[in-house]
Amino acid sequence: MYDFNYHKPGSLADAASAIAGAEDGKLVAGGMTLIPTMKQRLAAPSDVVDLGGIGDLVGITVGGGTVTIGAMTTHGAVAASADVKGAIPALAELADNIGDPQVRNRGTIGGSIANNDPAADYPAALVALGATVVTNKRELSAEDFFTGLFDTALDEDEIISSIKFPVPEKAAYVKFANPASRYAMVGVFVAKGSDGVRVAVTGAGDDGVFRVTEMESALAGNFSPDAVSGISVSPDGLNSDIHASAEYRAHLISVMAKRAVAAAG
Amino acid sequence: MPLDDQTPGQKPGEARQFKVVGTRPLRPDGIDKVTGRARFGADMSAPGMLIGRVLRSPHAHARIRSIDASKAEALEGVKAVVTRADFGAGDDDVADILDNCMAGEKALYDGHAVAAVAATSAAIARKALKLIDVDYETLPHVVDVDAAMKPDAPVLHEGLSDETVPDGVSQNVVHRVEFGHGDVEAGFAKADKVLERSFKTAATHQGYIEPHACLATMGTDGIADLWVCTQGHYMVRNTCAAILGIDQGKLRVTASEIGGGFGGKTTVFLEPVALALSRKANRPVKMTMTREEVLRATGPTSSTSIDVKIGMNKDGKITAASADLRYQGGAYQGSPADMGSMTAFAPYDLENVKTVGWDVVTNRPKAAAYRAPGAPMAAFAVESVVDELAKGFGLDPLDVRLKNAAREGTKSSYGPTFPAIGLEATLQAAKDHPHWKAPLGPNQGRGVACGFWFNFGGDTCVSLNITPDGTVTLSEGNPDIGGSRASMSMMAAEELGIPYDQVRTVIADTGALGQNEVTDGSRVTFAVGLATIKAARNAKKVLCERAAMVWGIDPEAVEWADGCARPAGDNAGKFPPMSLKEIAAIASNTGGPVAGHFEVNAEGAGVSFATHMVDTEVDPETGAVKVVRYTVFQDAGKAVHPAYVEGQFQGGAVQGIGWALNEEYIYGEDGRLQNPGFLDYRIPVASDLPMIDTVILEIPNPGHPYGVRGVGETSIVPPLAAIANSVSEAAGVRMTDLPMSPPKVLAAIQNG
Repeated sequence: MYDFNYHKPGSLADAASAIAGAEDGKLVAGGMTLIPTMKQRLAAPSDVVDLGGIGDLVGITVGGGTVTIGAMTTHGAVAASADVKGAIPALAELADNIGDPQVRNRGTIGGSIANNDPAADYPAALVALGATVVTNKRELSAEDFFTGLFDTALDEDEIISSIKFPVPEKAAYVKFANPASRYAMVGVFVAKGSDGVRVAVTGAGDDGVFRVTEMESALAGNFSPDAVSGISVSPDGLNSDIHASAEYRAHLISVMAKRAVAAAG
Repeated sequence: MPLDDQTPGQKPGEARQFKVVGTRPLRPDGIDKVTGRARFGADMSAPGMLIGRVLRSPHAHARIRSIDASKAEALEGVKAVVTRADFGAGDDDVADILDNCMAGEKALYDGHAVAAVAATSAAIARKALKLIDVDYETLPHVVDVDAAMKPDAPVLHEGLSDETVPDGVSQNVVHRVEFGHGDVEAGFAKADKVLERSFKTAATHQGYIEPHACLATMGTDGIADLWVCTQGHYMVRNTCAAILGIDQGKLRVTASEIGGGFGGKTTVFLEPVALALSRKANRPVKMTMTREEVLRATGPTSSTSIDVKIGMNKDGKITAASADLRYQGGAYQGSPADMGSMTAFAPYDLENVKTVGWDVVTNRPKAAAYRAPGAPMAAFAVESVVDELAKGFGLDPLDVRLKNAAREGTKSSYGPTFPAIGLEATLQAAKDHPHWKAPLGPNQGRGVACGFWFNFGGDTCVSLNITPDGTVTLSEGNPDIGGSRASMSMMAAEELGIPYDQVRTVIADTGALGQNEVTDGSRVTFAVGLATIKAARNAKKVLCERAAMVWGIDPEAVEWADGCARPAGDNAGKFPPMSLKEIAAIASNTGGPVAGHFEVNAEGAGVSFATHMVDTEVDPETGAVKVVRYTVFQDAGKAVHPAYVEGQFQGGAVQGIGWALNEEYIYGEDGRLQNPGFLDYRIPVASDLPMIDTVILEIPNPGHPYGVRGVGETSIVPPLAAIANSVSEAAGVRMTDLPMSPPKVLAAIQNG
């Protein structure tokens, strides 16, 4: 490891000023991506601002048809939460299948969405559920938040404080995991809520999470696996890598969508 | 005194009754490994120690025009930089090994070592590597075995082909071998059906959990010590001495605890480099590899391309069989094409059989041994064709194998005539097992396959010493990768008639014993066990002599039974038995310490066979394969410690599952390895697997006092084929290309 300045503020305001004052600062939440990236020298920030000292950022509350999850809440905590399991069981299940136990006990929802890895699971949940990202500056819809590969609408000194999920009528997430990393090769989150049906896909898009509107329209009229099984997605704009071609990923989207609809019931 | 292979009172021809062998005592290394007390390769440090790091080629194939290390040498904290210029010409015997450890004229693969640095910290060493300026002239490369054989392929080494290689193929073909007997063409003409298929397998890594690591100390007086994680420290000594041009006796090598090897640690990588750095810096040098270095630069196994042709009659009898086996062994000669050619048809009693093997070089890391080197790929190809023919005739695949099975007296496809062997026993056990009759669910298939491995003996030297208090220490020269400390202690205890916990087996350094072959060829329980038993018998002879001295009778009139010296009969006199402890206590007054030694180049390693049965479930919409049930049937000769034997059976099956379904070296267009890490290269973990059930058969090996056969390698031979046969049944389409990854299986289903 090389030298850098380490900050551990106790409040969101202090964190914001620490990051604003840094020459090339980085926020660290669970550190599941930033630390290995720094070890490989793919990132070399001058300052690391650790959000682990801000107690306000941890916790889960349910009320008024909304589940609110603090940005520093770990995947393990979301997976184990009786509140989440009761209100949005698909979300708890998604969290329970991220990475491995070590990652689930360190990694956080805020860190995951701020990183916006194209194969991460949470972005699909946020988009499909129509979640709202709350920061120290404003509130953003999930779709406005995720702007592209490893890219979000967050300003340099903007920090996520929580994510608000409207409780859906029904929802499910099904992923086809990479056999090695357990990242989603394709993950599809389907949710039916008060403002209709949403189908969000992670793992497949060149630009990160995206919606499949053709499937959404089909499901709005007929929320059944049959409604989506005949809808194919174009491989244009999908990832092609050592694990799978864009064509295979496109095929998986239809299969996973069908299974997600079946699982949602 | 009677010291034959029988227990006292045992009648000739009767099976020996064991007291310790065949039980399941606690493993001696268990507490150390669970608590973290065990010392592995990277766990040793020395005062004044430097850290060594290796600079590796980013090119698949490049001429090294020059290396300028002056900036690195000038960096504060750097104590030595070595390149090939720091090594002498070396012995011809080790020329390829040296070139693999440190490139000479050319870098031959992505990850090939081109220079190394020793510095006062790892950070300084890493920084120094960036300051070394290597001027490369990149050259065209080739990584695929079939492409490398074409006449116009880029050539790695000019003039390497030997006289066995015919005209019209690339110089990358180093050697061609041929085995068999009879007339295959005549045999094919007699068959009701002749089936010919082509197969490909990807290169896979041994995947040991512990990366390579060592600590070298070499002084200006030429005396050197090396602590290293290896499967054979005597081999490390001999190889490093040859590379460095020093006497073998001047270099003492101590083997660390070892976190897996599977054949991949039967050669050297870092060791001569660490010694050369230490010699230059005159300081101890520690080196460890990262996982990326392990994957890029240490031995995976060969990737292969194999054609198999088998003729069969409708009653299941094979009339003729042939195979053409092409193995790339990386950048140097020595792929296991010969082993593949010898093992391919070994399970069968064939009138007409022919195999041809091709050893091919490519721009990949030099292949190292991997558990039954060369055999699993050959078995995959052959057993797939046997399966397809059997199913085509509507025959039971186990019956077809039983009908053609090699047995005692069969002239094997590779030459020798088999003595008593256990193939039929494994097939019959498979047929009688509930697994064979269990119903299958939707999208499931069941596959079976047989496998063969030679097993090996080799140079072995052990020393058994009895302490003054009557406990026993056994020194052996083979790193324990599969439970050998436990099984040696058990065999010594059995022979001496004392409890298991009265024997401690240690892995002695190279200064303590004579030459020992590496831990390979499933040789240790057989060969070191044989030597241990003979050493114990030699010690018993001395113990009997001491008792005879005390009693004042002829040593021939004393026998050893149940841990005591006893008068051999009424005529010998009436003396109460003397225990080992009692004799040990008076050893100093009766002639000195009591010990038993034995040295041998062990012959008579019994060949070994296995039959595997596996159920898989294929997801027809995604191509994903799940292994749902797995049973291993294997002949162990005699299972000394059945829990370890079961572990070997399970481990082989699991590595086979990885090879069949997931594992694969993936190269880019640029010839660089694309997945050098466990995030992209998946070895199976517990959550990927069902319980692997095991059935141990015991057909004694006449070449070992207790009937032991090696068990470590045979277990990886059948799984690729058994899983492919199972997946082919479940998917309804024959799979001929490994790994059977989901995209590949889906494409096969879609293309019908």
